[in-house]
Amino acid sequence: MTSMSKLLALLLAIVLAAGACTSSTTDNANTDSAAPADDAGETSDEGEPSDDADTEEEVVQLVQDEGGTLDAVLAAGVVRCGTRDALPGFAVLQNDGTHEGFDNDFCRAIAAAVLGDADAVEFIDLETADRFTALQSGEIDVLVRNTTWTASRDGGEGATFLQPNFYDGQGMMVAADSGIASVSDMDGTVVCVASGTTTEGNVANEFARLGIDGEVLSFESTDLIQEAFIAGRCDGWSSDVSQLSGLRSAFPDGPDSLTILPDVFSKEPLAPAVRDGDTAWAQAVNWAVFATIQAEEFGITSANVDDFLTSENPSILTFLGVEVDGATLDPGLGLPVDANYQVISQVGNYGEIFDTHIAPLGLARGENALWFDGGLLYAPPYR
Amino acid sequence: MTPTAKPPIWRNVRFLAWAFQLVALALVVTLIAILANNVRVNSANLGVPVGLDFLKQPASFEIPANEFRSTQSVQSAMVQGALNTLRVAILGIVLATILGVLVGIGRLSGNWLVRNLSRIFVESIRNIPLLGIVVFAYLALVLSALPSVQESWELSGLVIANTRGTSGPWFTGAIVNVLASAALAGLVAWLIRRWRLSRLDQYGEAPNVFWWTAPVFVLVMFWTAFLLGIGVTTPMVDGRRVVGGITLQPEYFALLIALVIYTASHIAEIVRGSIQAVPRGQAEASMAMALSPVQRMRFVILPQATRIALPPLGNQYLNLLKNSSLGFVISYFELTKVTSTTIGNRSPAVPAYLLMMLLYLIASLSISAVVNFFNRRLRIH
Amino acid sequence: MTDTAPTAADQPTDPPLWSPSPSGSVSTWLKKNLFRSRLDGVVTVVAGTIILIAGFRFLRFVFVTGRWQIVRENLSLYLTGSWPEEHLWRLVVVVVGLALIAGFIGGFSAGRIDDDPSRAVSLAGRDRLVDLGSRLWPLVVTVALLLALTTTIGPLLVAAGAIVAAVAGNMAGRAVPGGMSAVPVVVGVLFLTLAGIWLLNAGLSWNSWGGMVLNLSLATISIALCFPIGVLLALARRSEYPILRWLSTGYIELFRGVPLIGLLLMANVALGFFIPNSLAPGKVVRAIVIFVLFTSAYIAEIVRGGLQSVPPGQIEAGKANGLTPIPIITRIVLPQAIRNVIPALVGQFISLFKDTTLAGAAMGLTDLLGGAEASTAQADFRGQGLIAETLVFVLLIFWAGSYTMSRESQRLETKLGVGER
Repeated sequence: MTSMSKLLALLLAIVLAAGACTSSTTDNANTDSAAPADDAGETSDEGEPSDDADTEEEVVQLVQDEGGTLDAVLAAGVVRCGTRDALPGFAVLQNDGTHEGFDNDFCRAIAAAVLGDADAVEFIDLETADRFTALQSGEIDVLVRNTTWTASRDGGEGATFLQPNFYDGQGMMVAADSGIASVSDMDGTVVCVASGTTTEGNVANEFARLGIDGEVLSFESTDLIQEAFIAGRCDGWSSDVSQLSGLRSAFPDGPDSLTILPDVFSKEPLAPAVRDGDTAWAQAVNWAVFATIQAEEFGITSANVDDFLTSENPSILTFLGVEVDGATLDPGLGLPVDANYQVISQVGNYGEIFDTHIAPLGLARGENALWFDGGLLYAPPYR
Repeated sequence: MTPTAKPPIWRNVRFLAWAFQLVALALVVTLIAILANNVRVNSANLGVPVGLDFLKQPASFEIPANEFRSTQSVQSAMVQGALNTLRVAILGIVLATILGVLVGIGRLSGNWLVRNLSRIFVESIRNIPLLGIVVFAYLALVLSALPSVQESWELSGLVIANTRGTSGPWFTGAIVNVLASAALAGLVAWLIRRWRLSRLDQYGEAPNVFWWTAPVFVLVMFWTAFLLGIGVTTPMVDGRRVVGGITLQPEYFALLIALVIYTASHIAEIVRGSIQAVPRGQAEASMAMALSPVQRMRFVILPQATRIALPPLGNQYLNLLKNSSLGFVISYFELTKVTSTTIGNRSPAVPAYLLMMLLYLIASLSISAVVNFFNRRLRIH
Repeated sequence: MTDTAPTAADQPTDPPLWSPSPSGSVSTWLKKNLFRSRLDGVVTVVAGTIILIAGFRFLRFVFVTGRWQIVRENLSLYLTGSWPEEHLWRLVVVVVGLALIAGFIGGFSAGRIDDDPSRAVSLAGRDRLVDLGSRLWPLVVTVALLLALTTTIGPLLVAAGAIVAAVAGNMAGRAVPGGMSAVPVVVGVLFLTLAGIWLLNAGLSWNSWGGMVLNLSLATISIALCFPIGVLLALARRSEYPILRWLSTGYIELFRGVPLIGLLLMANVALGFFIPNSLAPGKVVRAIVIFVLFTSAYIAEIVRGGLQSVPPGQIEAGKANGLTPIPIITRIVLPQAIRNVIPALVGQFISLFKDTTLAGAAMGLTDLLGGAEASTAQADFRGQGLIAETLVFVLLIFWAGSYTMSRESQRLETKLGVGER
């Protein structure tokens, strides 16, 4: 008898403890995702051929709801935007706990378009390794984290990439006095890169293409790369040109001590991404980005947007959601009619965002100029 | 008195005990089955493979300083990573033990300066996160202390040190030959040692083991190396790299230093506690026998302290092995770093991580087994 | 990643730093303590050189070459992460509450120990202050440093409030009659802790927690959750039922055999495969779950050691008194076992506190170390190689906390008379 009740007590206690643990975990999970459960619309059985799994589907209970994210965001009143916390120019955590940067401003633009309030954003810092997991699991609504749009990511990570907000390319930075003039001079060198990105593979491919031999050393943090580079651990530092420019502009020995080689050996279109199969939300995000581009095409800035409310140009009035001949255009994107006005007045046009965050890094507009200035930015007409 | 009736089955203690145990087992098995099923279904939904087929894929990343090309398979990358883990763990265990014992003895030294230096070392290192020590060792002790490759430190052409690594002379030829040569020399030296000890037992001759074995070891190694065609290369600076010899990367050094000082600070406390646990009479008796302080430590105190210290030491060795995974942060390609990198290169996360865990588990259990073996041998029956 | 906690042999035996013999002059002290023999002299010179060089370099870094502006400006980021200002009062309440609880526990246990005349340690007035100062100086120095770095009056007020609360709690703890059971006190403290967590969490979802607050909360919540699991595992491992024993042993060996950072990486990247994505919790919760799973294996081993230290006669005596197994375990075995392992448990808490930095590295949480890294990317500071300054500052905070805790646990060990009774 005695041993039995001891055992009973033990089992009961184990079950209780396990129950307490799981329930506390789930409670926490529920409290921290501000949105209701239906925001977790994930790679679904409907969107993809489900050949072998029909009973298992019930076990996992993937919640499926077309267009769920937009509704969830409207219900929650906040956009959960996946960014990072330490990337000069693009996303930096400030000492007062706020986030500032190019990517953060696009998150704000999305919030301004959808919710009318650019500050209704919750920034969630993500590592390179977990950014797609966070998107898949519904932890974030949109990923604006300096992420390159590639075919296999579009296809394999359960993510849909949208209009790129920045066209980048991978380059190489070396010490100015190193005597290296192009990547083909780099036989027998060591190149430092950030790990977990396409960067490592690109360097290896470029070296293989040029038929030269070198080592690639990948680090978890930019700080460590810089320290290693300064100490002469590596000869080259490879990353996206935008990032190299930022690092060069702030280099301790001055920007002139470094050279960014002319070779650009990859295409890196950096684009926001949303979950697959969520068209309404994808369109909302896309048109928030287009709003900044279109505004620059029109010459509308956050400073002069109110002057344009009385413009003669009907396209501009339509764009700003102003009544033209007794009618306002609601394109049916699920956005308020004044979405573009909110984006411009609260965040600014593309050029303003670029000038605030990217120009100080010493980077020219280049591919990121408007199409009529020789760049790649082109917004579809808003009508 | 009524005769003892057999209790009904639902009140049979033995039956109930087993029933409850089986229920517990069933719960655990079910939980594992549900998790496994979830992995299968979720992977199928995301189009991610679940098997170990990824091991056959090309790794498509390089492992610095390891002659590992990106065209080799993921499997060989993981093997290389596991070897790198063992490389840092085994040397780390040896060095941490030496430093830890020295500092532990230093904590009890009669010398005021040594005592307090040891104490400051232990109390400061033990109480900060290892992650911080690893980063600090890499940045401050290795990268900023060593010169760049153009200004390498050279020691008469034999040793070259710079931020690309520290290079020394090494053998050429297949590693198997080198190992075979060393094993043969070790065997001969061991036989000589046995012979000397038997002379000691039989005739009371002074054994002088070291002076007998060391030259024999060197001679045998030279001779077999000559026969097997093993040569020696010395390092040389060639432009931006060092060629020839063997090069130890700075990342390896930094991780080794961090692991050694961190583990040594814990070992020192174990050693101190164990020495203090040796009965005082032992020390007094050896003083009465006019042993010198060094002899007293070497022949009386330490052997007894070892018996007390071994189980907690074994834990520290396990910790060191697992802590070597922090090499991940400073880009030392040990098992964790290799696994994360290959997952970043689209190897499936679940099987890759489970395989990694399994490898760590095997290594941990091996260390436990070795420690337990010595523990049993040292136990007084 | 987890250190073996200090053993019973690990008691403070450090002789006083300076103890001149009554008749001695400086030269005799030197001769006795530094130059007893020729070898000793050599060792002294070598050790002295090391101390001089290391000390000089460290002092030069702290006072001359170090650029501490980054620490000054990012203090709130390091301590509280992105905690919004309008919710700061919640933190203040929790800090003051914690001070109150700590003071109360201190006073309560001191009161109960003082009641036992054989081990009463009563210090009065000035001696008491000196005693406190010698015990808590790392903490006091660090807090003073933090206060000196702040530019506003708020933190000063909070610190003052915390001190007042601690003293008040201490007095209240002492006032509790000695005969009273500890159970309501333990329950009350647990309840207050949970209330504190709730208060913080109501202000800000887990995912936005950061800085030292995150490190401390991760460690506290995890240790609280894994303690019961660890006790159950230890009981199961020592039970007479083979399957329970195998399961428990398997669990313990599994989690003791794999690196914590590997588990954290896996939870970060691969958790979504094991459970339905809709149920996958946020990062902080994931980290807590991993810390709980990992640490309960270690707690189980510590508690098992404690259980082994309880003489079998105690259980037999309980049986002889007609107690059923559950009261024997809860009222006789566990109280003795846990008293014996309190220092080891504190040691485990310290290593857990240090290990919380791994959550930052593996999962990208902006904890104390992560905040330090983030600050070096700010426009004013980026690219200046300030990682050393931020690292030294962060390590100082960890050191002060861990050192104080380990010293206090050693003191507690002596006071509880572990290994004496």
